[in-house]
Amino acid sequence: MAAIEVENLSKVFRISKKDPGLGGAVKALFGPRYEDKAAVNGISFAVNAGEMVGYIGVNGAGKSTTIKMLTGILLPTSGQARVLGRDPHRQRVANAREVGVVFGQRSQLWWDLALIESLDLVGKIYEVEPARYRQLLHQFSEMLELGELLRVPIRNMSLGQKMRAELAATLIHEPKVVYLDEPTIGLDLIVKERIREFIKQQNRERQTTVILTTHDLGDIEELCRRVIIIDAGKLIYDGPISTIKERFGKYREITFETGGRSGAVDLPPGAEPVGADSAARKLTLRFDRTVTTASRVAASVMDQIEVLDFSLAEPDLSSIIKQIYSGALREQIAEEMPA
Amino acid sequence: MIRYLSLYREFLIQRFKILMEYRVNFIIGSTSTIFVQAAGLLTIWVVMRQIPSLNGWSFDEVLMIYGLVTLAKSINHMFADNLWTIGWYYVRSGGFDRFLVRPIDPLFHLLADRFCHDGIGNFLVGAALVVKSSVSLGLVWTPLKVLYLVSAVLSGGAIFMALNLITATSAFWLMESIPVTQVIFNTHEFAKYPLSIYHKGISLILTWLIPYGFASFYPASYLLGRDVGAMAWLGPVVAAMLLAISYRVWLVGLRHYSGTGS
Repeated sequence: MAAIEVENLSKVFRISKKDPGLGGAVKALFGPRYEDKAAVNGISFAVNAGEMVGYIGVNGAGKSTTIKMLTGILLPTSGQARVLGRDPHRQRVANAREVGVVFGQRSQLWWDLALIESLDLVGKIYEVEPARYRQLLHQFSEMLELGELLRVPIRNMSLGQKMRAELAATLIHEPKVVYLDEPTIGLDLIVKERIREFIKQQNRERQTTVILTTHDLGDIEELCRRVIIIDAGKLIYDGPISTIKERFGKYREITFETGGRSGAVDLPPGAEPVGADSAARKLTLRFDRTVTTASRVAASVMDQIEVLDFSLAEPDLSSIIKQIYSGALREQIAEEMPA
Repeated sequence: MIRYLSLYREFLIQRFKILMEYRVNFIIGSTSTIFVQAAGLLTIWVVMRQIPSLNGWSFDEVLMIYGLVTLAKSINHMFADNLWTIGWYYVRSGGFDRFLVRPIDPLFHLLADRFCHDGIGNFLVGAALVVKSSVSLGLVWTPLKVLYLVSAVLSGGAIFMALNLITATSAFWLMESIPVTQVIFNTHEFAKYPLSIYHKGISLILTWLIPYGFASFYPASYLLGRDVGAMAWLGPVVAAMLLAISYRVWLVGLRHYSGTGS
């Protein structure tokens, strides 16, 4: 059964355009000009109950706007969204009862209240049955190690503590669908690990449907088998993460710090330049690891010029998205995507 | 309704826990308004020493008007102060979204989110003025008059809230609603004196357009035994109508927000 169904969903914002400077500001005051910008542009997908899906894209791609439409905060310009069979905007309150949201960048708890009091209040707002509430509180305290934190006001918490508190508050009413908008942003590895573990467990035990927005490929790899990629408001990929990794993870970048000029180097087979900065004495090459190996590329370059140091990097998520969208791999995607 | 009342109680309890934590702030906040009010009262006192009667109104009678409007204002101050900050604190920062993902009415959530203790001082000052005025004038408080007073203060409070709600809604377009709210709110200063001393236009505005008159002059007149005809009884009707209108305006604002976001 589909927990979330999105059909041809679009959101167009009207943005006022101003010329730069004071003159522009005055002009805009008397003759405002507007420009329509589609933040989300004709997106369709369906998410099954109990599925965990990564929803990714560069900043401004339209991820948050989509989530705001799915939570009922924003009304779609066209198309429709259904969450658990409901229209999230028209049936906002009914939808809110069964849905939880974490906006990683801002808190939904009361700044000055101790965590336990914030949680109590949230429990009352969602009308969680008291016995059930105590049970969940106990469970969450253990899994998220909230024990000593319960008495601490949110304002005195570190980022990682705050996020654990957020998660507890978001899941205390046992929502069937959870949207996590960058839940691990700025967190250290240990906290990240704990949060991922917690989300996984919630999904396993309660078949919670999760839509996860993040820039951290690690989150996605840990939690999701499927990703949806959007760029400039359009859906550009929807499929298993394994495909992405095979396709786009096959490129590696190697950067050399050179002693002298780095301009005239005969490129090793299978490698292509990404950027050469003679002033900084750096040379970056990209190679296909199914064609050649890092050591072969490195050896070939070192034969030709003096190399002080070199480093090897796997492309990160945003560079994969960039690659996908830049068109170099667009044909491949078109082939793979079911029409 | 019962659910919202008990929920409000929960919000209030938590709010007082916070306030108790900042004890000094609580004491300063809830009493500071008394000093502000003292300054305003001093002005009246000085003026009334020079002219013992203001267009036929004595000092103690003016205090009744002043006291009623202060009580009405304090209701708004205590229970609806978040209407002032909706723009910069909630809409601009995106914090308003939090209210929309919860299964309760967003306006209720906004108001319940912060009980403002600063209004307590206003309430005490207003009550003291009404007592002082009625003792000096030797007013007799029949049960009916007490009931009338309570209803007048609640209606007055509702008028303050409704007007602030209408102006606060502009935050959904402007991000910042304080200047707009300030302009309308400040006209209540006129309502601290008998409307009969003003030009006809001002008194009409304060009766029918920005009806602060029903939070001060008309009920005070009735309590002081001055004849203002049907106006003495219109307060609750005006308040109810204004609340209904302001809620409609708020809904239009919400609809705009769901179209544009923050």
